[in-house]
Amino acid sequence: MSLFFLNPLYLFGLLAASLPIIIHLLNRRRIKRIRFPAVKFILLSQKRISRTKRLRHWLLLALRTAAIVVLVFLLARPIFQTGAGLFASGGPSSVALVLDNSLSMTWSRDGEGFKEAKEAAARLFASLGAGDRAALIPTNTGSKEPIRLKREKEVLLRDLEAVKIADGSADFGAALGRAYDVLRAPASGKEIWVVTDAALTDWDRFSLAALKQYDPAVPVKVIKVATKEAPPNAAIREIRLRGQDVNVGLPTEIQAVITNFGATEIKDLLVQLRVDDQPKEQKLVALAPRGEAEANFQFVLTRPGSHTAAVTLKKERLAGSATDYFTLEAEDKVKVFVVDGDPQTSLVASETFFLTRALNPEGGGSSPFVPTVVIPEGFAAAPLDSYQAVVLCNLPTIPDAALPRLKEFVRRGGGLLVFLGDRVQPEDYNRKLYDTSPSILPARLKDKRIVSASALEKVDRIDLKHPALAAFTDPILAESLKSARVAGYYRIDAAGAAPIIALGNGDALAVERKFGFGRVVLVDTAADRDWSDLPVKTAYLPLVQSLVSYLQGGKKGALETGVAVGESKKFSLPAAYVGKNLKIVRPDQREREVALAAEGDKASGAFAENEVAGIYRVSAPLSPDAPAALAPVYPVNPPFLESRMEAISDGELAARLRPARATIVPVEEIAKGGSRSDLALPLLLVLILTLLSEGWLAQRFYG
Amino acid sequence: MAVTANGERSYFDPQVLARLSNLYLKARWVVEGMMSGIHRSRSKGFSVEFEEHREYSPGDEIRRIDWKALGKFDRYFIKETEDETNLRATLILDGSASMDYGSNGVTKFEYASILTASLAYLMLKQQDAAGVATFSDKIESFVPPRARRGYIFEILHALEAHRPAGETNTGKILQEIAGKMNRRGLVILVSDLLDDTEEVLNGLRLFRFSGHDVIVFHVMDSAEIELPFDGNILFEDLEQPDLKVTADPQTIREVYRGVVNEFIDHVRKECHAAMIDYQLVSTTTPLDRALVSYLGWRA
Repeated sequence: MSLFFLNPLYLFGLLAASLPIIIHLLNRRRIKRIRFPAVKFILLSQKRISRTKRLRHWLLLALRTAAIVVLVFLLARPIFQTGAGLFASGGPSSVALVLDNSLSMTWSRDGEGFKEAKEAAARLFASLGAGDRAALIPTNTGSKEPIRLKREKEVLLRDLEAVKIADGSADFGAALGRAYDVLRAPASGKEIWVVTDAALTDWDRFSLAALKQYDPAVPVKVIKVATKEAPPNAAIREIRLRGQDVNVGLPTEIQAVITNFGATEIKDLLVQLRVDDQPKEQKLVALAPRGEAEANFQFVLTRPGSHTAAVTLKKERLAGSATDYFTLEAEDKVKVFVVDGDPQTSLVASETFFLTRALNPEGGGSSPFVPTVVIPEGFAAAPLDSYQAVVLCNLPTIPDAALPRLKEFVRRGGGLLVFLGDRVQPEDYNRKLYDTSPSILPARLKDKRIVSASALEKVDRIDLKHPALAAFTDPILAESLKSARVAGYYRIDAAGAAPIIALGNGDALAVERKFGFGRVVLVDTAADRDWSDLPVKTAYLPLVQSLVSYLQGGKKGALETGVAVGESKKFSLPAAYVGKNLKIVRPDQREREVALAAEGDKASGAFAENEVAGIYRVSAPLSPDAPAALAPVYPVNPPFLESRMEAISDGELAARLRPARATIVPVEEIAKGGSRSDLALPLLLVLILTLLSEGWLAQRFYG
Repeated sequence: MAVTANGERSYFDPQVLARLSNLYLKARWVVEGMMSGIHRSRSKGFSVEFEEHREYSPGDEIRRIDWKALGKFDRYFIKETEDETNLRATLILDGSASMDYGSNGVTKFEYASILTASLAYLMLKQQDAAGVATFSDKIESFVPPRARRGYIFEILHALEAHRPAGETNTGKILQEIAGKMNRRGLVILVSDLLDDTEEVLNGLRLFRFSGHDVIVFHVMDSAEIELPFDGNILFEDLEQPDLKVTADPQTIREVYRGVVNEFIDHVRKECHAAMIDYQLVSTTTPLDRALVSYLGWRA
């Protein structure tokens, strides 16, 4: 049983009820002083004043106050309700019903919560009276259709039936904003009902007072679908890559971090990994109360490109998002074409010995780089299409036959790394690679400089912002590189371009230039130990691998965990895609398109309809001039905290709904039904009786 | 308010009289005005009785010089005589602080003073002997009754010299005055009687036992009778500053009036039993009515 008011603002009028008392008190305070001779008669009179007479005085005061109170209550339209009170019998009502269909509703009340929530909503709609109107507002809806109040119960019930649980969190700020918007028009009996599991995650970030528009006079009734008994509650917090990149043929290690939200231990939690829809591995883990555990998986990908994967938790009655999707972008091994310009019979003495060891240290198949070494004669005839990078080491001249293929190779996106040496003919390089338009070589070669052993040049500056040298932010590697001493190098003229590595005297040691879709790096010393001790330094291997990796496009295998449900996925492609559309296929097989617009020197777009957890597939129109560089799949996962089953307390929930008057009722109360009665007529009768009594008594007492 | 038939204020309106500064004029105004409405009486046929000599002072009538005394003492003496009368009246005026109250422009003391003066004037005019006593908690002045011409001024001087103050102790005062009076006569008490009622009545009875005739003019302000105030009021007693009470007159008015009427009835009844003439006069009562009640007794 409860009492509420349709026009609660009128209750401020209750302050007027204090007027008779205030007047009485003011009169008492405003005492006149009179010097009087017959005070003894006044004293005697007061003694004789009967108790009845004083009671009469207070009785009249009480009746006058009561008349004001009853009048104020009458204006505020009190409604008496039994049970949870449905919509009916309270006069014409305008009700906005907010239904929480966030993911957490899946697990409330052992999986029955959402069903019970819908049943409660259906019962409320069924109780609509002839003059009542209602609107259904799911918290998670992709519909852009405007919501309006409807009188037709059948339509409302049909709309309710169509609401499904979404994979995202509930945005109560947006939902209640829509509810207030629906109730914006003047109407009587406005109410907002919210059916929710009161998940802490969703309500924790909500505050009614922070909404742009709200009406504190509209009462809010929360029907709480609370979980009876806390089930095991765990979810995957993170999936991360362990170790190196994701490469074909190399072991890939991933780690799933699983969080136990509950206060009880979870034993024998089965964690399964599937890659490309094939089961790969499974583990059993135990989770301490409110603790975390890690499940590690190792597997080998056999083909390059995108792979879809998912880690799934399996346990009876487990509450929380069971599956976390991710994608893997596996890179094939980088094939490097190495031209040895100074081959020797002794392998160690050859120009490329240290370079090939740096690219493939173990000599087996465990390196992501596969170097192929040829002598200059072989360079002239070799096709370069199957390689991602070409490295020239102390090559005396550029063979004329190889030059067009080399240019085409770089223009289409290949990488060229040039090391110099004592056999290099600078005029040939300048003529064939620099004086062309556009230049391939980043700088013109000038004179060769050989310094004495006592005046060796050292590496002084490293451009750590350059993506190829990012690894040298590690101080050990940077120190190692700077400890190298250079005895011979070519001075170069880079036409103002800043070197990425420079010597202590200011001369450049390495410069970079972009050519077509490819890149060229010139290192103006030798790749072997003839001109420097760099090859025997620790920094040599990461330097060579970083430069080659960068030149071949910087493509690394990667693990992608995507975006959370409800978030936007952003795309960035080459400018050639401006005006074109990306095609996106959602996990529910719905197809959407995303228009790409110019943003700087890129074509960019965003996809917001990530409403379903799973793998989204993306395809871009082919552009012969510009590779899309676009992962064809991306994962979307429920927000991690949406799996947390902890509910907000009633007091805190009411506080977050302030300044509106919030009532929180368990969903069971709705099932019991109830009724409402308008108290206007009884109060009117009470008011008339009060006024008549006051008049009659006043006449009798003082008339 | 005393208003004539044609709407004008009469000679006897206490508020009109209060504007006159001279008590003699007030008394004369009242008496002459009243007498002119009845008949003109000249006081003849009474013998005179020698009382004392006093030294001549300018202004005295030459015919009243005692030539024999001049022969003996070679100084001018005036022979004071007292008119022989068959009435000796002592007017006793209550001059306590409670009399200094008036809700309609005239205090009870002012009203009582005019009434006393008028009575004295009237008595002297009729060749009766009149004296006056004023008191509060003690006798403030006592002018013994005389029937001498010009004696009115001594009486008026005693009345005018008194300012109401102090607590009443009427019973004791009446006993003292009774002790001073060695000849029977008329005693007129003009008072609000706001004192211990039984003591006052005992004092009055004492006069009766001594053979005096007693008239009581009970002077009350209309506000004392009606309690016409509104709102919450802190009433402070005029004689006892510590005696205070807060009351809502509207609530107690009915009971208060009953209490006051009981008091008046009690005094009236007791006076009647002791053969004391009792007159209740409000300060709004025209003075002539009070005088008429005296003349009614005199007749």
